[in-house]
Amino acid sequence: MRVAVVGSGLAGFTAYQTLRRKLEPEEIAVFGADDDPAATFRRHATAIRQREMRSESDGHCLPTSFPGLAFRSALARRSPGPLIGSLLDRYHPTVDEFLAHVERLRERSGWDRSLRPARVERIRAVDGGFELDGEGVFRHVLVATGHPGLNVPEELRDDPRAVHSYEPHDYASTVTVVGAGLAAATEWLNALAAGSEVVSVRHREPVRQPLNVPREYFSRRGLESFHRLGPAERSARLRALLAPSYPPGRQWDEPVARAMMEEQFRIEESVNGTAQIVCATGFRRGFRHDPLLARLVDEHGLETTEGWIVLSGDGTVPALSDATRTLALAGVAAQWAFPAADTLAGARYVAHAFLRRVVSCPTP
Amino acid sequence: MSYTLRGRIDSRLAATLPVVIAACVLALAEHKWWPVEAAGLMIGVGTALDLQAYRFLRYQPGWAALPFGVVELGLVLLFMRAAGIAAPLWQAVALFAAGWLTAQVLGHAGFPLLRLTYAEDGGELGRFGGAAAATVGVVLASAGATAYALRPPVVHLATGVHQGPLVISRREVLVGEPGAVVRGGIVVRARGVTIKNVSVVGGENGITIDGYRDTVLDGVSIAGAKLDGIHVRLAGVMIKNCTIDMLGNPHGQGIDISFNMDMGLSMVEGCTIVGGMEGITTHSSMTDIVHNKISRTTMEGISVTEMSMGMVMDNEVRDALGVGIYCNDRSMCMVERNTVVDTKNESGGGDDSRRGFGILASFQSEADLRGNELAANPVPMGSVTNSLIRATH
Repeated sequence: MRVAVVGSGLAGFTAYQTLRRKLEPEEIAVFGADDDPAATFRRHATAIRQREMRSESDGHCLPTSFPGLAFRSALARRSPGPLIGSLLDRYHPTVDEFLAHVERLRERSGWDRSLRPARVERIRAVDGGFELDGEGVFRHVLVATGHPGLNVPEELRDDPRAVHSYEPHDYASTVTVVGAGLAAATEWLNALAAGSEVVSVRHREPVRQPLNVPREYFSRRGLESFHRLGPAERSARLRALLAPSYPPGRQWDEPVARAMMEEQFRIEESVNGTAQIVCATGFRRGFRHDPLLARLVDEHGLETTEGWIVLSGDGTVPALSDATRTLALAGVAAQWAFPAADTLAGARYVAHAFLRRVVSCPTP
Repeated sequence: MSYTLRGRIDSRLAATLPVVIAACVLALAEHKWWPVEAAGLMIGVGTALDLQAYRFLRYQPGWAALPFGVVELGLVLLFMRAAGIAAPLWQAVALFAAGWLTAQVLGHAGFPLLRLTYAEDGGELGRFGGAAAATVGVVLASAGATAYALRPPVVHLATGVHQGPLVISRREVLVGEPGAVVRGGIVVRARGVTIKNVSVVGGENGITIDGYRDTVLDGVSIAGAKLDGIHVRLAGVMIKNCTIDMLGNPHGQGIDISFNMDMGLSMVEGCTIVGGMEGITTHSSMTDIVHNKISRTTMEGISVTEMSMGMVMDNEVRDALGVGIYCNDRSMCMVERNTVVDTKNESGGGDDSRRGFGILASFQSEADLRGNELAANPVPMGSVTNSLIRATH
């Protein structure tokens, strides 16, 4: 077996679908604790009661951008509506549609045959590849371990009223929502719909844009200039690009405006005495929060900058990849190569490059 | 999609390849070069816009292809007109639309399936893009070289009088030097003949074209023909900027184009005709008659008859006897922006249809009138024998 994917979440699953274009299930080993690739996403989406995907037609796990979810939905509904919506950048598949798509792919791609229910705790470079924690040596390894835990502000960590937005929760009569991104905006609407009085605590005014990362950074057009930046500049650019945001639109604005008029919604600078605090503060950032990546860096002396592992433009770890072997990162850990790496398009980007290396590398 | 400049050009050239090939096939089938010229212009206009305008777009949403396509179509048609490419409008629009649709299907579905990284590469197609660009270049260059090699020979008619009738029996361009005159008429007996700047004096007909397509008469001058100035039967013809003197021949037609309905659209444009029975007449023909000046005819200035169809537009008809513009015998005529003045009444013999109509529709014909200037005619307009005139302003 030549190829291993460490991580069985959506990034690993998307990479697996790309690898399956050239490899049989028996040639790929996927290491992960959960056999359902959408388990974490499903848990988070359920917690914030998310109904639609922020991504557009391209937000799927298939290796090619066509046929996307809009095309499939148009066929299923026998309506051109999704295609027209997609042309206008107004098509957002429902969470249910997306989950059904993942389930279909899982069944037909041989995912369960490749899956090895094991948590890899250590990756060690050896001659001809990488040793995975006693699971064997693999010539090409893609690490897709996902976000390294939920981020709860330090001052709220021990507050019994606090719950993270991605954890299951109901709403008290008064709710403080901390944050200014998509999860926070979703929580405002959820809490208002539940009849709660909502206090928004934020460090800055929310950024409004359709996608978290501007569209040009999804293609070579924006990436070439991004890759030319030096470490400090790239780090600063990443921080700016990854600032939380949520899409513009009346569906977000009108309920909040109405609630403000009825004094059900207000903005404050700090957490006050509400009955519940929802932390819509996203995930912890930096490889140090991921034990596997932290150990990889420490044991191999990998170059890092401000919490990011320095990667080549294609997501590979330059010190550990050559003509005979590949170590690549996918998902949030690959943002050094692709700012939107924590999206499905980002997972696909790294997977394409990884497959290219796998195919071009001679099998001994 | 966020295209790179190379991605735009790769995608455009690769998407144009099927259209270029289709244009070449069409050109071979029709024996006309306009599809290849139009395809070349489509590529030229599109690539120029890629280089000068579109490249500055950081992101192009899918819907933008529609307004961009309309702009490109307008520019292509403009350049075709400026370059004198004689293409039927609707066929040219259909070719462009087919090309646009092909590009959309390939851009949204074909190329992403062909190349895994199409979207993230900003539309770049790698070696395939280079190969497609080279193929488009080779196909267009080959078509251009073929067109160049197949150009008809140019024959220069020297200054002076040449005794006719002159019979042209091969595809050629006959260009008259200043003062070149053919006495006794010219007979066209080949397809694809062009006659430019030649004066014809006398002859049964000034110029006769019977049974051959794709004749172009440009800047010819005719006088003293015994029958018709230009006599066209079962033939397709473009007549531009001619001068025909039919004074002294009260029974001949200045231009008579008949029985060529299956030869496509013919055209008479920018001619000046004096005298004769009818200035311009069409029978069972699809001919546009535009920007001509006709005067002193003894029957009708312009006559569209025997189930003919066509536009009669921007003409000036003066001093016609009986009828200025005549739409007759189940014909369908669009009569727009013409000036008809001083038509004379000739109903002395009891024929009411000769009362000096500016415009007359007769015998189950339909004429759509718009913006015509009718002055000093005994009857400005009328319809007889189950015909219909629809006048709008």
